[in-house]
Formats: sequence, structure tokens, C-alpha cells
Amino acid sequence: METPALTARTASALSVTAPRGEWFSGRTNGLILSFTVLFCLLAVWSPTFLSGYTMFVLARQVAFYALIALAQALCLVVGGMNLSVGAIGSMATVLLGLGLDTWGLSPWLAVPMTLGFGLASGWLNGVLIARLKLDSFIVTLSMMFLYMGLRSGISGGQSYRVPDSFTWAGQSEFVGVPLVFLVAVVVLAVMAWIFHQTVFGRYLLATGGNATAARLSGVPTGRMVVWANVLSGGFASLAAVLWASQLGAAAPETGDTWLIVSFAVAIIGGTGLSGGVISAFGLLMGAAIFLLIKHGLVEVKANPYFANAFLGLLILLTVVVDRAREMYVERVRERDPRSRSRAGERIPEGYQAP
Amino acid sequence: MLELRGLDKSFPGVHALSDVSLRFAAGEIHGLVGENGAGKSTLMRLVTGLMEPDRGEVWFAGRRVRFRNTRESMAEGIQLVQQEIQVIPESTVAENLMLDKLVTRGWGVLDWPAIHAQARKHLEVVGLSVPPETIAKALSAAQKRLLQIAKALAARTRLLLLDEPTSCLGPHETAGLHTLLRELKAQGIALIYVTHKLEEVFALCDRVSVLRDGHHVGTHPVAGLDHDRLVRLMVGREVRDDRVGLRPVSGAPEMLRVEGLTRRGRAHDISFTLRAGEILGCYGLVGSGRTETARLLIGDDRADAGRVWVRGKPVALRSVTERVRRWRLGYVSEDRKEEGLLLGFSVLANLTLTVWERLVNRWTRRIDPASERALGRHWVDALGIQCGSLENPVRNLSGGNQQKICLAKWLAADCAILIIDEPTVGVDLGAKEQIHRVIRDLAAREGKAILLISSDMPEMIQLAHRILVFRDRRIVGEVVGEGTSCRSAAEISEAIGHFLN
Repeated sequence: METPALTARTASALSVTAPRGEWFSGRTNGLILSFTVLFCLLAVWSPTFLSGYTMFVLARQVAFYALIALAQALCLVVGGMNLSVGAIGSMATVLLGLGLDTWGLSPWLAVPMTLGFGLASGWLNGVLIARLKLDSFIVTLSMMFLYMGLRSGISGGQSYRVPDSFTWAGQSEFVGVPLVFLVAVVVLAVMAWIFHQTVFGRYLLATGGNATAARLSGVPTGRMVVWANVLSGGFASLAAVLWASQLGAAAPETGDTWLIVSFAVAIIGGTGLSGGVISAFGLLMGAAIFLLIKHGLVEVKANPYFANAFLGLLILLTVVVDRAREMYVERVRERDPRSRSRAGERIPEGYQAP
Repeated sequence: MLELRGLDKSFPGVHALSDVSLRFAAGEIHGLVGENGAGKSTLMRLVTGLMEPDRGEVWFAGRRVRFRNTRESMAEGIQLVQQEIQVIPESTVAENLMLDKLVTRGWGVLDWPAIHAQARKHLEVVGLSVPPETIAKALSAAQKRLLQIAKALAARTRLLLLDEPTSCLGPHETAGLHTLLRELKAQGIALIYVTHKLEEVFALCDRVSVLRDGHHVGTHPVAGLDHDRLVRLMVGREVRDDRVGLRPVSGAPEMLRVEGLTRRGRAHDISFTLRAGEILGCYGLVGSGRTETARLLIGDDRADAGRVWVRGKPVALRSVTERVRRWRLGYVSEDRKEEGLLLGFSVLANLTLTVWERLVNRWTRRIDPASERALGRHWVDALGIQCGSLENPVRNLSGGNQQKICLAKWLAADCAILIIDEPTVGVDLGAKEQIHRVIRDLAAREGKAILLISSDMPEMIQLAHRILVFRDRRIVGEVVGEGTSCRSAAEISEAIGHFLN
């Protein structure tokens, strides 16, 4: 049995690096540092980087990345995944285009219809995973191909026009900050609050933390998996709507790059791949870091045909560093079987229930 | 046969073994006992070459040896049977047995008839009469254990180390294993037998060595030793707990009534009643239907037939969530790491998980942090959980404290009926005592109705008011106290044994 004094001391020492709050944990500091370094490098390198226009465009892009990553992270947090985020986004875009262009609906009708589709497709994923106990990988993989095929077949690859009034959301600003960015920040803040303060959020975390233990403790884990997927689909379609609004057209290829982006940003942002850990601030930071690297590659005139290779390496590097840290911690613990709460203990990050 | 001279091993912050000198003779069964963390596992690892000592020497068969891995120690004839059953479930018995010595016809082509013939020979040694073509997962726990021993003996074995070999065996199978071990002893093999079950030491071993906090506190011939003295050596102080719990509880209201509960292939025709303040024991082996019954009761599995009443009201067999919230029925799983705890989550979250919904502010839907902490603090104090801070991840806690958290979350949820499945597996003697006291107090003082599932006979005898005996997915008998007089422990275990055979 541990000596209480020792445990108490180490625990309080740990809480300096990881206060119970959600905004700053050990990992968060790493994210802020990486972001700052990248930001400064770019500012020095490129004379146009600090201009208002670049900032505006980048902030808007960060917002999309963060929303897409949130859609992925919601599924990761309950111990699953959603390979169909991009496909849902594409399909939603086509539906939006159909509504606005082909059927001539008002945005007030077309947008709820699109969001409704996102929620419904997420619900379908969730029900298949939770009720039929299917693997989230295979369910969302099939759905990805299903929606990809549908969107190509329906649209024939052609973009749909959207009315000028519709571009308001994606293109307007509020005291210099893109509205889209504000939307993403509000969404993330609300999700952070939900995860930390409400039963619903805690149940989502518990489901991913240990589904069996949570179920046997009375957590409706099946329902939580369904909800996570519903929200995931919802945010994917929200990102699609905002993207079309920003672009001024509903382009069927919208979601094609989302899958890799969603994983990259979620992973960089510290979302646990095995569930139970998520950080909204991490998602925002992850999105910013990911974008800065992408932007940096353009600035240094890297051959754009190789861009994906860099991004692939980046994701791999993130998980390797994470895993290395975990293995280091495990080794420290193994060498020291009796006093297990010593230095190097892995601290749950982000919005782990307090 | 094996001699350890001044073995010393430290890990950062822990002196796991200090200056341990021991001799193990050929043709002897040498018991090795001690609490968790006393250094038994470290000792086994040093002997088999899984670790190397900081200081000291290992002498085997008259020669100083320095094993760097198990391959080297196996080559010398030292075999370890690990506590966990290690078989490849989808492979056949023969494949499991012969994996490291497959016979080929040359060019890597396997000679199956020869492999099966040899496997049959090795199986005979341990008296395991299954065809070598059987898929390993079809074997019972006892058969898997025998398979493991057969594998260890298939090599030329001079020293056999057994780490808690009977942890998943019933009394009948344990007796069979002991007969086998005595035969091996007669053949001149040295056996080291690590166990938590002290009655096995007395039944089987010739001498016993006790480790405490990394020190060797003595080696004694079993003949001159009694149970209490051995416990005193292990714990270093007086522990007496030979109470017998068996006595009827009458007059208290009936909390749970189960009639004809059936789920094909898992549990058949289970009927019993449970009163407030009563501890009803469910004794039986793993797979005998005890845990399966518990899963039906908490609604994790759907019953094919049968009816359940809680406090006289009929209960529809639905979800776990409803069972907890509406009927105040809690289940402490036998596997706290896989099924009981959110290991990476804080002590507080694990304690209050079951009551978050009651701590919510009606308007903001926010879990009130102050009442959550107060509740967590209350139960940490009430059960004496040593966790340092409430934010500490439960992964960092010792087994005993983790087990207390598993219990406390149901107490926090104010459950009136508790199903407790194997509460003291893998916790040390001190914590076991405390958990027993908690369970007893819950029944006696708080009037909780407790269904206690255990395959630990002494535990059952000490705690239970009545004992249901499970075999082959049915209740095969019930042991009750006669009148108000307590029967002796020996009589009770005899009665249980009678139902089992």
C-alpha cells in the first residue's frame, strides 16, 4: 500500500503541470509552444504573413479544420472512429446544392435540410455500431463509399450555384474576425463545457474510457455511441454548409480531404485514439498548427505534389512521439512496481472528468 | 538443488529483495508465501533469468549460474508455470504442447502423427485425457492448467516453479493437481509452490519459506507449524479471523426474490430470496453460473424465463441503467480493471460516476462540483481509501484501494442491494481483512442485502449467512446454519463439498 504522504505530495506536484482546469495541461503547453514557434518562424520568413488578409484567411481555415476534427474527435472519444466525416460533408454539400440550385429552395429550408441529413447519417452510423454491435471502422468505411458514390452520381461532378445572400455566413466578419472562426470557437467552448460539466459529456468520456465498466455502472453506453455519431455527422454537415457559404458554391468534392485532416488535427490536438480523452482547446491548437505547417510548405515553395507526404509524416511523427512518451512512463512504472505514483506518471489530459 | 546466496534486488525507490538466502532441495515441495509485494515474484524472476540480481549468487545443481533469459534457465531444466493461464486458444492441445519442439520431416514440413504421438505421451504424464487434436479453448480451466504443467514437464525438468497454480481450480481439481505434484516430488524433482491459500501449504508442502517486505523471515517444516503462526510470520502481527458467519437472518424485510431465472447456456432455474442485512453466499467455480446469474440480475444479459422482485415489486428485466437508478441494485464486478474501473480517470470520477445525474443543477444541467467533491471525500474517508488526492488516476492505486472504490461507487449511489463478485482476488491480506470488515458492516449496520459471489472457501465461511452452491449453471444445494448455532468451518466446507460431488 502506498504511503499517503508520498502520494499526496506527488499528486500536488503533478497538478502544477496539469491543473484540474481544461485549458492548460502538460500537453497543452507543448501545443502552445509549437504554435508559437511556427508562428514566429512564418512571421520572420514571410513579409505578407502578418497582414490582415492572410490572418483572416488562415483564421477561417482554422475554423473549418477545428470543426472537422471535432466531428472526428467525438467518435474517437467514445472509442470509435468516423471514416465517413468527409463523405458526409460531400453528400451534405450536394444536398445543399440540390436544394438551393436545382429545387430553388430558400436557404432557410435548404440549410436545416442539410444539417438534418448530417445528423441522420450520424444516427445511422451510431445505430449500426451500437445496436448491431458492428465495428465502427467497417460501418463508417462502407458509409464513406456509399455517400461518395451517391454524391458523384447525383452531382455528376458539377458544382451547384448558391444565391448571393447565402454567402453571408462564410464571408462576413465581426470586428475583423471571420464569423466562421467565431462559430467554431463558440462550438468548441460549448463542447468543452459539456464534456466537463454535464452528465452527458461525462458519460461520453466514460464510455470511451472503459465501455464495459461504464455500462456495468449504469452508463447507457449504447446511447452514448449513437449520440457521439449523431453529433459527429451534425458537425460534418455544419462544416459543409459553412464551406459552401465561404466558397460561394456547393462543390461536390468538398469533403475529399477531410478524412486525413480530421485525424491529423484530432491527433495533434491530443484526442486519445483509444477513447476517453478529448480537449477542445487542443483541437483548436491542433488545427492552427496543422494549418501553419501546410501554409509554411507553401511559403517555402515546397513542391505541392509532395504536400501529402509531409502531412502523412507529420501525423506519424505525432503518434510516435505520443507513444514514446507513454512507453517511457510505463517503463518508469514497471521498474518501480511498488510506488507507482511517482514521477512520470501519465496524467490524463484535457477534458478527462475531474 | 537450488541455492540462493544473499540475493539483492532494488528498483528505483523500492528494495524488492534484500539479502535473501534460501535452499531448495530435490524431491521437496517448498512453499513460498508472503503478502503482495513481499518479493515472491521478484524471486521467481531472478531464478528463471527474467531479471538479474544486483548482488548475490544463484547456484543450481552445484554450479553457479547466471541466466540472462528464460531460454537459458529452461535449458538447465528450470520451468515456470505462470499464474495466468497461457494457452493459445485457437490452437490444438498438441500445438500448444509441442510449439517449441515440433517434429518435422525435414524442409520444415511437420510430421503430425509423430507430434500427436509425443503430445499424447506428455498428456499422460499429467493425467489429462483429451485427444491432442482438441482445440485448446474448449478445455476447462483445470484442463488448461494441466496442459501448462504438461508443457513444463515435456522438457527435461529438474526444478518446477508454480505461481498460484490453483487460483482458478475447484477443490476437486486442486486435489488432483496436488496428487500429480506429489508424484513429481517422488521422482526427485524440486518444486517451488507460490500460493496465497495457506491451507494448500499445509496440505501439500514439506517446508515453507516466508517473505515479508523483501526479507526472508524464516523457513519452517510445515509439520511444526499452524495456520495462525504462519499468518503472523507473513503479516508480522497478530491477525485472527476464524469467525463463522453462518446463521439465519430472520424478521428483516425481503429485498430480492428470484424465481426460475433462466438464460439458456448460462444459468438455469435460479431461485432464491435475499433479506435486508443478509449476506447470501454463492459458492462455485468460474463458469458454474454465479457470475452469469449476477449479469441477469443487473440486466446486462436478458433472461429467457424467470421473475424477479425487488422489495416485493416485480421487476421487468431491462437495462443496467434502469436497474441502478430505479431499483438501487449495484454490481461489483470480479474483474475490477476490465469491468469495474475507468483506470485512467480520477478517483473522484470513479466514485461519483453512478450519481452524476443526482448532482445536476436542475436549470443549468451542470454537475455541482462542490457536492461532487464532498461526496467523493466522504466515501474516501468512510472506507479509508488511500488515494492521496481525489484527482489521482485510479490506475496508480493498490488493488485493495481500487476494490474499495468499486464498492464505494455503489454505496454513493445508495444501493440497497449489492452483488459483490470475488471481492478479494489479488488483494493482500491486510486489505482483504478490511474489505471483509466493510462487507460485514454494510450488512449488519447499514442493512444492505448482499449477494456475495466467491470461490474462496474461507471467505465464504467467514462472511455468508447462507451459502448457495452452484454447479453446472444450477443451484445444487444450500447450506444454512442450524437454528442459531454456528457450525464449524470444517463442517461447512464438508457440506459444500457434498453438494459439489
